[in-house]
Amino acid sequence: MAANFWNSSHYKQLFDQEEVDVVHPLDKEKGITLEDFKLIKMHMVIPICKLAQSVKVRQRVVATAVTYMRRLYTRKSMSEYDPRLVGPTCLYLASKAEESTVQARLLVYYIKKIYSDDKHRYEIKDILEMEMKILEALNYYLVVFHPYRSLPQFLQDAGMNDISMTQLTWGLVNDTYKMDLILIHPPHLIALACIYTASVYREKDKTAWFEELRVDMNVVKNIAMEILDFYESHRLITDERVAAAFNKLKP
Amino acid sequence: MSENDVEKKVADRYLKREILGEGTYGVVYKAIDTKTGQTVAIKKIRLGKQKEGVNFTALREIKLLKELKDPNIIELIDAFPHKGNLHLVFEFMETDLEAVIRDPNIFLSPGDIKSYFQMTLKGLLVCHKKWVLHRDMKPNNLLIGSNGQLKLADFGLARIFGSPGRKFTHQVFARWYRAPELLFGAKQYGAGVDVWAAGCIFAELLNRRPFLQGDSDIDQLGKIFHKLGTPTPSQWPDLEWLPDFVEYSSQTAQPWRKLCPTASDDALDLLSKLFTYDPKTRITVQQALEHRYFTSVPLPTDPAKLPRPAPKRESHNPRTSDLHEGPTVLSPKKKARRVMPDREVFDGNAYHVDKIDQHGGEIRWAAGDNTSRNEQVPMSVDFSIFGAKPMSRPTINSADRSHLKRKLDLEFQHPE
Repeated sequence: MAANFWNSSHYKQLFDQEEVDVVHPLDKEKGITLEDFKLIKMHMVIPICKLAQSVKVRQRVVATAVTYMRRLYTRKSMSEYDPRLVGPTCLYLASKAEESTVQARLLVYYIKKIYSDDKHRYEIKDILEMEMKILEALNYYLVVFHPYRSLPQFLQDAGMNDISMTQLTWGLVNDTYKMDLILIHPPHLIALACIYTASVYREKDKTAWFEELRVDMNVVKNIAMEILDFYESHRLITDERVAAAFNKLKP
Repeated sequence: MSENDVEKKVADRYLKREILGEGTYGVVYKAIDTKTGQTVAIKKIRLGKQKEGVNFTALREIKLLKELKDPNIIELIDAFPHKGNLHLVFEFMETDLEAVIRDPNIFLSPGDIKSYFQMTLKGLLVCHKKWVLHRDMKPNNLLIGSNGQLKLADFGLARIFGSPGRKFTHQVFARWYRAPELLFGAKQYGAGVDVWAAGCIFAELLNRRPFLQGDSDIDQLGKIFHKLGTPTPSQWPDLEWLPDFVEYSSQTAQPWRKLCPTASDDALDLLSKLFTYDPKTRITVQQALEHRYFTSVPLPTDPAKLPRPAPKRESHNPRTSDLHEGPTVLSPKKKARRVMPDREVFDGNAYHVDKIDQHGGEIRWAAGDNTSRNEQVPMSVDFSIFGAKPMSRPTINSADRSHLKRKLDLEFQHPE
């Protein structure tokens, strides 16, 4: 469906930053700030990745799962939709939607293997119940487009499709899922922002190539800035800070 | 609302009526949408036996139908969980193309056939434009509404394609509609498989009986070659590389004129292009719709005027009066749609030589040829960056960042 992002449900559902940065009233009551909210979402990516690694699914499944999770929290609270259950369930749903189904019992097995504490005592039935709730909250829209698809084409066109550049940009795209970019920007612009960031980082002047593209370079530049901001703030996050945010969600 | 035993509202909105049939993954029943007064068909999806949550096939159908909104594609009106089961609400369709073809009381004029086939292709075109393969095209998946509109339904086997190199199963389609590349075990295939099936449907509309009725995969190929001749290397250069390739004793094609005696020359020309052996040169849906068959006389019949099987039950319009009526008992025959009815097996009559016309389109689906290949390379790398220790090892060290940010900002001072 690559050619048809513009008439996809994904395009129609893009949000403004202000719409994404709303802490649900129920979470606010518990003292969750916008910063906590972002931090928790960022940290939910980790267990999703760990699980994905254990059950061996494609990166695309991870990206779709993270997108479902982020979309969910634009509508629902973390108090009602426990992040510890939502993460694995999004991976479960994404594995089906991306045609590489993972068995629920396998996910449960690995959750227990990775986390031995009793905060993660979830059973198959919990995942299946949550699956239905997430489906409903997503209004059954499941098709998601990702920057990965256009990335190799852009790199080739720009003459930067060597291994090192491919790896760097691919890594950058992966990191963008720790932000809400996928909810806000068309995926091909995220891909371009990653290429832009990488080209500056590797000191390859690709200005001419970018100027020839029929895209709004201001948007691309802003996304690139956001990515860099993310890396900056990333350094300052401590485990204690994350734990404190999660602790506020305790009933 | 009145708490009649049989009348109950589902999800506070749908007034449940009689069962219409058994679907691939659950019961389908008729209902009235109390919000709109519209008659709908609700598929209740059984949860899988293996404790696998929402049925995978159902999920595919939901995922794709949410993206495909078109007059020639069945509309998914709503979906909701109820008592732990997922329910899908579709627009209610009166009949299907199989019922039309099988009904001995119906005469289909050349314009009627053209109209039904054109709507079939239009629905298919929407799928292919959105990179969706239907993979289960057959007359009883082509539903017909009360206004004569034909709509593609049952997307349980449908898939997004367009990632070249991605392998699919070849076990798709009802056998009679299966393209030869699938019968030879091809795992990388494209929109051509739906085109072949569309050709089978077209021939079935013209002849009023299934065109290629094999009773096993091997026999299916035998039936194809018996009518269309065994493909020569020049007709289909890649044939011998297909996984399950077996050589068949050489047969020559029968003339289309004998295969479909009632069809016009234009129809026969289109047929021969739909049945091109090499999927690379097989006509596309877009090209088929542009074929002169559709613009020559007789023009396609207005859908509202198309002949349809006589309704077996209510003699009045169900949409206007159903709301306050008691439930009607349904003749189950009406819509046991998913079950293949027994069909007589006709043997292709033996006729002789002609050559298959193989004009055709250009090579399709070449776009984005490099994506999947490149996708493989970074896969092994990305988890080390993203997954294992993501918080401690971001791709770009923040130490570089302020320097980078300055540079980023400078370069596009005056963006176009």
